[in-house]
Amino acid sequence: MKKIKEIVNKNSFATTVYPILFGVLIVVLWQTQILHKILGADTFTLPMPSRIFDIILANTDSIWTNVVATLIVAIGGLIVGSALGFMLGVLATFAPKWGAGGLTVIAAFNAIPIIAIAPIANNLTKDLSDNPEIRSMIAKMIVVTLTCMVPMSINVNRGMTELKPFSLDLMKSYAAENRTVFFKLRLPNSVPYIFTALRVSVPVCVISALVSEYFAEFIIGVGRQIRENIVLAQYATAWAYITVACAIGIILYIILLIAEGITLKGRK
Amino acid sequence: MKVNAMLKIKKLGILFLVCAMVLSVFAGCTAKTSTEAAPTATAAATEAPAVVEGPYYSADMTAEQIVVDAASQGKVGNWGLGNEYEIQALLSKYGQDTTYLSQAFDMDGFDDDSILLASAMTYNELGLVKNSYDGGYGYGDTVSYIDMNDEGVAMLEDNIFCTKTFAEANPNTVKAFIAASMKGWAYACANPEEAAEIVYSYGSSVSSEHQAYMAGEVKKLVETDTAGNTVTVYGKMDTAAMQQTLDLAKTYIKLDDAVAADALAGFELSNIMDSTYWDAAMADGAVLGTPEKTDVTIQLKWLPQAQFMGYYVALAKGYYDEVGLNVTITPGGGDISETTAVYSGQVDFGVTWVSNLIAANAGGMDLIEVAQVFQRSGLVLVYKLND
Repeated sequence: MKKIKEIVNKNSFATTVYPILFGVLIVVLWQTQILHKILGADTFTLPMPSRIFDIILANTDSIWTNVVATLIVAIGGLIVGSALGFMLGVLATFAPKWGAGGLTVIAAFNAIPIIAIAPIANNLTKDLSDNPEIRSMIAKMIVVTLTCMVPMSINVNRGMTELKPFSLDLMKSYAAENRTVFFKLRLPNSVPYIFTALRVSVPVCVISALVSEYFAEFIIGVGRQIRENIVLAQYATAWAYITVACAIGIILYIILLIAEGITLKGRK
Repeated sequence: MKVNAMLKIKKLGILFLVCAMVLSVFAGCTAKTSTEAAPTATAAATEAPAVVEGPYYSADMTAEQIVVDAASQGKVGNWGLGNEYEIQALLSKYGQDTTYLSQAFDMDGFDDDSILLASAMTYNELGLVKNSYDGGYGYGDTVSYIDMNDEGVAMLEDNIFCTKTFAEANPNTVKAFIAASMKGWAYACANPEEAAEIVYSYGSSVSSEHQAYMAGEVKKLVETDTAGNTVTVYGKMDTAAMQQTLDLAKTYIKLDDAVAADALAGFELSNIMDSTYWDAAMADGAVLGTPEKTDVTIQLKWLPQAQFMGYYVALAKGYYDEVGLNVTITPGGGDISETTAVYSGQVDFGVTWVSNLIAANAGGMDLIEVAQVFQRSGLVLVYKLND
């Protein structure tokens, strides 16, 4: 608790309170329908916050089932993708000649739209399991993995190679082995870069999980519910799931910030 | 010079290695699937004989046997997104759970056996499965299907609708639009080949052969009711079929929003349809009057195809001009919500399935159906036959 308090204190008043105040302002404008007038929307396509929260409260069980399904995909893909990205980043460090080029090619993965990978991943995983729930979970995870791998590999590679001036020379003057250089210099140096990568990939993992659910064989997940409800013109319910999706993204990001604060405490 | 050449070779080598690496990632995925494919195929072959001979179904099996078998394997497919209610009604009829696999907008899942009982529209997917023209799968007579009409779970599909407010403010426009559209449908059903060509000329997502096939099948849906009787008046709202659609909708449309669910439970036919405009437009010697609004747009449920041939024919033959309307046809596709487009006033008329209109009204829209073009359900469940 103490640690968390310190972190909160460290983040200045302005960076936490102002965003919250802004959020509250939006909700107030929304509930008082001033927002509707500004946007030219009606309460049908943009229902009141109170109605949205009523729906969330009345459907906690089914929402929770969908949230769990989305979280498994998002976090599973984030872990696998980050691990793969880390390994690629390290690999590129030890083979710098083709490493830089290789990472550029991998970075091109990020340019492939999720909506293009998702159906391909579905087809690739058709024979993996007789249970559509499992094979479509794997398909969705592949999509998240691909999108999370790229930021990690590039940032880890930078963390491993952009060292403090002369630090590598110093290690060499000690006749340090490559292993020692890796564990004592490169790895600690790359930790802040890992968090930079995670700041990109945590929101991305949620978004790609939501979008990949659109195309999955097995019908489950927050993203799928958003799509179903919008097509059925159930906007209030769709907004309820959009709110839940936002909450997932924000909570994961806050967890990341706290973890970053604890890990990097006293670094700067 | 030599050093340069060496460098070039090295660079090329590096490039090659990177490509190989990327390829191996993909190859890894496909290799896995190919090694895993073999055991599943044999497993299916050894399991299947307990129920039927061969991995598929025989021609003399009843619909119940097929539905029960496919549902127990979890291999019944539908697109979802409001198209699933008839399938769920059929699954319930035979005591099965109402879950289904999400089917893509192609028939690949049916082709690769991940779906044994796949949803298909008689005029579209069924044709692609059977025929071997461009885009077809060429199964011919090796497939058969279960018809929702025969099973008593038919829900009516393509209609014409607008908002109640629009209809009340522009009654003559609505009547004129119905009269001209139905004239278009009558001509299209009398000349399906020509209608298919007209649709094709307005832009098409599919081949002209498929358009022709589609026109022939759509004609059957427009001219035959759920019981198989011939319908002579186009766009008629059959109360019994509409009531069946509403009853099934009330049972199978599941809404998380309590307000919408309550509204749905209390719906009667008057909440979703108004036949007075059609009656007035189609009466003998009907006087249509001057349209209040002359520039109108109709939003289709899907891409330009013979499913909507009546409107394209009416446009091409000038039937809309005759009644004083300047009509624009807006194609749909993907996740475009025709109910929202009409409700928000972007377009005046729309074509949707009755179940989608019911769900939208439960959500708070004020849409009314003014004509029912398809008189029977075009949805079937297609399955492969054993050799």
